[in-house]
Formats: sequence, structure tokens, C-alpha cells
Amino acid sequence: MTDPRIAIEVRRVTKRFGRRLVLDEIDLEVAAGESIVLTGSNGAGKTTLLRTMAALIRPNSGDILWFGEKTSGQHESRRLIGMVAHENRLYPHLTLRENLIFAARMCDVVHPRHCADSLLETVGLLAHGDRTPPVLSKGMRQRLSLARALIHDPPILLLDEPFEGLDAEAEQWLTGLLQDLRRQGRTLCFVLHDEAKTRLLADRVLHLHQGRLLQVAADQTAVAHAA
Amino acid sequence: MTGRNTINHHPPEYQNRCCGRSPTPRLRPKVSHSPGDLRSDVSAGSGDPRRTGVSQSQYQKFYWMVSKDLLSECRSLRVWPAMLLLGVVVAMMFAMQTDLPPQQLRQIVGGLLWLTIFFAGTLALDRSFAAEREDGCWEGLLSYPVSPTCVYLAKLTVNVVALAALECVLIPLFAILTDLPLLAHPGPIITVALLGNLGIAAVGTLLSAVASTGKQSSYLLPLLVLPMVIPLVLGAAEATRLAVEHDFGPSWWRWVELLGAFAIVFVTAGIALFEFAVEE
Amino acid sequence: MSQTAEKYFFNDYLWHAVAAVMVTTAIAAIFLLAPTEETMGIAQRIVYIHVSVAWMGLAAFVLMAITSGMYLFRRDLAWDHWSRAALEIGWLCCSLTLATGSLWAHAAWNIWWTWDPRLTTAFVLWAMYSAALVLRGGVEDPHRRARMGAIVAIIGMLDVPLVIMATRWFRGIHPKSPQMEPTMRVVLLMSVVCFTLFFTMLLLLRRSQLRSADMLEDLQAQAEA
Repeated sequence: MTDPRIAIEVRRVTKRFGRRLVLDEIDLEVAAGESIVLTGSNGAGKTTLLRTMAALIRPNSGDILWFGEKTSGQHESRRLIGMVAHENRLYPHLTLRENLIFAARMCDVVHPRHCADSLLETVGLLAHGDRTPPVLSKGMRQRLSLARALIHDPPILLLDEPFEGLDAEAEQWLTGLLQDLRRQGRTLCFVLHDEAKTRLLADRVLHLHQGRLLQVAADQTAVAHAA
Repeated sequence: MTGRNTINHHPPEYQNRCCGRSPTPRLRPKVSHSPGDLRSDVSAGSGDPRRTGVSQSQYQKFYWMVSKDLLSECRSLRVWPAMLLLGVVVAMMFAMQTDLPPQQLRQIVGGLLWLTIFFAGTLALDRSFAAEREDGCWEGLLSYPVSPTCVYLAKLTVNVVALAALECVLIPLFAILTDLPLLAHPGPIITVALLGNLGIAAVGTLLSAVASTGKQSSYLLPLLVLPMVIPLVLGAAEATRLAVEHDFGPSWWRWVELLGAFAIVFVTAGIALFEFAVEE
Repeated sequence: MSQTAEKYFFNDYLWHAVAAVMVTTAIAAIFLLAPTEETMGIAQRIVYIHVSVAWMGLAAFVLMAITSGMYLFRRDLAWDHWSRAALEIGWLCCSLTLATGSLWAHAAWNIWWTWDPRLTTAFVLWAMYSAALVLRGGVEDPHRRARMGAIVAIIGMLDVPLVIMATRWFRGIHPKSPQMEPTMRVVLLMSVVCFTLFFTMLLLLRRSQLRSADMLEDLQAQAEA
């Protein structure tokens, strides 16, 4: 946390889906370069909070700020965010390379082809570059999804259960990659269930319960209390 | 898995070329990264064309979105064949039911043609967002730095192209089935067709975005769009009828003006309202 | 205004009673006061009701579009209650317009339906109202429902002038401003005013009902949580 500025600020955010209160006046600050993990039972609002932080959901009240600037109506500043979502967000009829090139072009990357190839190499899919997502395994799609999120080199990375569907080897690889990203000073926000991974990756663990941030723990021992 | 090694092996020159926009060296192990600097760089507008209002890159993104959709359709052939086939079948059914002398057929051919185009085209309109919603691609698209206006115009363009393809089949087909000189004056017919397409696609794209958020998208869309495009179908049908009768007088122009007004009003409305239609 | 007067002035029941009395008076006037027309006979009396509901159908559409715009601007569900009440009352009035108009047309022109501009416009309005009703029925989240309904209402409002233009150029046989006896005029005016008040009361009632339903569901959700 060399930079004192706040990467993401969540200010009294409330979100309802229908009558259901999903986020209840959440306040949260994520410092630049910090790595936080959101935990909580199913339906606690973790994914909703992450998507709200990505400005994909408009809260009923409250604001989201990225580096001190409000996100509402700001399409240009979306390039600060990279996100790995539950769904892989890949076009089924484009090849892996085309998917990445499209994402790169949407994010104003200067050399989209070059960047796509490099990232395919990084995630170990260069050999499959000309295949389409549906023929790949879930783990491979997950890796491509990560490449898609990294393509514009975002300072903030939001990951919704990135380890889902990965085998042991890929998990280890991804843990290494994420630790590298963390070491580079990127701001990371995870939704994770795995306690061991949480311990490895988190500076701070936040527990979400019924739309409220119940525990804000500075170290990982909080997970044990939360569980 | 070699990934963990590879990330540290990028040559430095690549790191600068790849993401020249950002001063952050990509995936470099040493922490020289300062997001605060990046932020100020992005917002200060340091001669970056992307930060100066409607930048060129929005046009480029528009182009890439349109080509992405057309490429996907060319590969998957999911919508266009069904749409063209439905158009042909409906046209044949109409022709079967209206086996009339040319003089009477002349009066109704415009209306039949445009209703066929509308019903078959609804398939394409409906799929324009339903396809994106699979695998969460739609969310991905919204999370890119692209303005909703740009997304709307790209989808609108794809739908206009789809409707134009439909007309390329249906207008000759109607000319053959009815034995009327639909293609005798290509200029006026193409004008009417293009304005009509723009109008239907403008309303249809917006309402397709509206309907696709609900659970009953596909059967709701024609119900929503048809009342809205009644003036357009009326205008296009009348203009087509007059064109068949070689009558390009003031009344023909009046209908064309109506089509133009419709297109302008609803493209503008679409741009203004699309943002509300896509938010979560 | 004194406190008692205020209490009575803002009393819903008072206004409901007034509306009920007025609409009864209007119906009585239509059948007892207005003279029977020479050529059409008793069927002409439909006109008094027809004109009233037709005007209300159009006015409700405008109200729906304006309140929808306000909702998109302010994101307050209170505006959506107005919009939805206007939608439902407007749909009712528009349906009545089509029904009474059709009956009248059968008596006057000996046809049930024709593609006259006003008839076409009324039909298009009715179709848009119906589409908006169906659309709203399929969305559960109140804010999303309000947003979708608002977009359809606003596009519909933009469409109305084009519909009127297109249908007017198309063809037209609807009586524009028919010659009327003074008594008929008075009855028509009276009927329009009374029915407008009646449907406005209905609209206000529906709106407050929607608001109460919303509050109730909020309370239930709170109680469950």
C-alpha cells in the first residue's frame, strides 16, 4: 500500500432486487494495491457487491468511486476495471484469439493482435488460439476469461470465484499468477470460498451477511469466526 | 502449466507496445506500478485522442462491434437462414391467399410486402440481444469503455443490414409471385426500403433491449413493436403501392417524408433511451 | 381554510361521492335531457359517452408519458404509481372508446369498423396500452418494471403524432365537428366534465391503492428480514 489513495470506495450503497434487500448501506474502502476477499454464504450479496463495484449494477442509493471519481455515467473510466465473472463472457462463435482481440479493441489497447497472442501465451492457451470456446474445457475457458480481464492492463481486478472449475495444477498456476499480480501493486477484489486460498491472497477479509459487511478483519483469522 | 514462468519473460519492449495507453508496465514483477498515476494520466487528457469528446476510437469500436456480430452470424448461421425462410414462407402464404387479378393485387402488394418484412425481421431483432445474453457476453460488452450510444448504433446497424438482406430476397420474390413491376424503379423502392429498415430497426433494437431483460422476450417483441411501427408500415406500404403505379408525385414524397421523420424521431429516441433500457 | 373545511375538502370519500353523483347525473341527462336525434334515433346518445371516454383515453396516455419521463428522471416509484394508474385507466377508457365507437358506427354507417384516422389512432393507442400492460406483467422487480414501462410509454407518445399524420393522409370519414342543438351541446359538455371527474377519481384511487400495496410489501419484506 505505497499509494495512499483509494482504488474503490463504496459509499452507503443499497441495492434491492424486487423487495429483497441485497446490499444494505454498504460502506467500504479498498486502498490502491490492496487485496481483499469477500466471503459469505450463498445469496449474501457477494456477487452483487462485486458487480456493483464494477459499475455493472446501478445501486438504488449510494455511490461507487474509482480513484476518487464517481462511476455513474462514466464509460471512459471503465478501463480501470478488469473483471472475471461467473459467466465466462466469451462469444461462442469467435475463436479464442478473436475473442481477446475484440476485447482489446473495445478497451483501446494499441496493438490488439500482439497483446492477444501474448496473453494467450501467458495463460497457456496459445496452441488453442484458433479454436472456439465451446470446444474447450471449463478450466480453459476460465483461464481465457482471466486473459480477457487482463487485456487492457487494469489497475483494479475483480474476480468472482476465479478458481471454479480448475483442476489442481491449474489452481496452483492461477494462485501463482494472482500472487504476481498482487505483487505488482494491482488492486484485487475476490469472491472466494476456499479458506486456504483466502489466506494466501488476502490482505483483508470481509464477511458479508444478509447484505451487511459484518466483519472487517485485518487478518485471515476472521475467516474462522465467520465460518 | 507454463504460465507462471511466462509472465516474467515478456520482453520489455512488448510491455510498452502492447498497452501503450497505460504507463504501467504490464505484469512486471517489481512494484513500480502506481494506480494513482494511471488515474491522473487517464483523466488529465494528456493529448490522448480517446479523452477528447467523441473520439475516433468510438467509431472504431462501432465498426468492430458490427463486424463481430456479422462474423458471428456468418459462422453460426443461427438467425438469418430462419429469418429468410420465414419471410419466403409467409410471402408464399400471402400469395396463395391473395390470388387476385393484378389490378387488385396492386392495391395490397405494398402492405403484404411490409408485413412480411416486419414479421420475418422480428426474428433478427429479437436475437440481437438474446444472443449477447448467453454466457454473459452482454455484461462484458457493458463493462468495456464503450458508450451505450455506440452499442445501440452498432446493434441498429446490424439489424438494418439483416432487414436489407431480407428485402433482397423478398422484393424479387414478391415481384415474381405477383407479376407486378416492383423492380421497375429500383431507386425509389430502395429509398423506401432503407428508410423503412431504419425505422423498424430503430424501434425494434430499443424494444428488443427492453424485452430481453424480461423473461418473455421472444413472444413479447412483435406485440411491442407492431403498434409502434404502424405509421411506418402504412407509409412504406403506400409508398410502395405508388411506386408500383409509377406515381412519384407529391403524395409519394409525403409518405417518404413520413418514413424519414419516423426514422429520425426513433433513432434519436433510441439513442436517448437506450441507456435506461440496458442498466441493471 | 379552517380545519374542518380542510378535513372535508381533502376527504377522498367526499370526492368519490361527488364523482358518483356527477356520473349518475350525466347518464340521467344523456337519456332524459338530451333530445333524440332525428336520423339516428336513440343510438346517437352513445356519442356523449364516446367523446368523454375517448378524450380520457388520450389524456391518460399523455399523463402516462409525462409521469414515465419523471420516473426516469427522478427514479422515484411514486411517479411510477401515477404512470401505472394512468396506464390502467387509459386502457379501460380506450377499450370503452373502441366499443362505444363501434356500436355507434354500426348505427350510423351500418358497419362495425372502418379505417378512419381517428379509429385507427384509437386502435393504435389501445394496442400500445395493451402491450405496455403485458410487458409490465412480466417483470417482477418494481424499478425494472417501471423503467421498461416508462420507455414504452415515451416511445408511444412520440409515435402518436406520426400515427395521426399517417392515418389522416390515409383516408377519413369520421365526423369532425357535427352540428348540434344547444341542449345537446350542454349535455355533451356536462357528460365530458362528469366522466372526466369520475375517471380521474378512479385514477387517483388506483394510484393510492398501488402506493399502499407497495408500502405493504415493503413492510412485509422488512418483517421477514
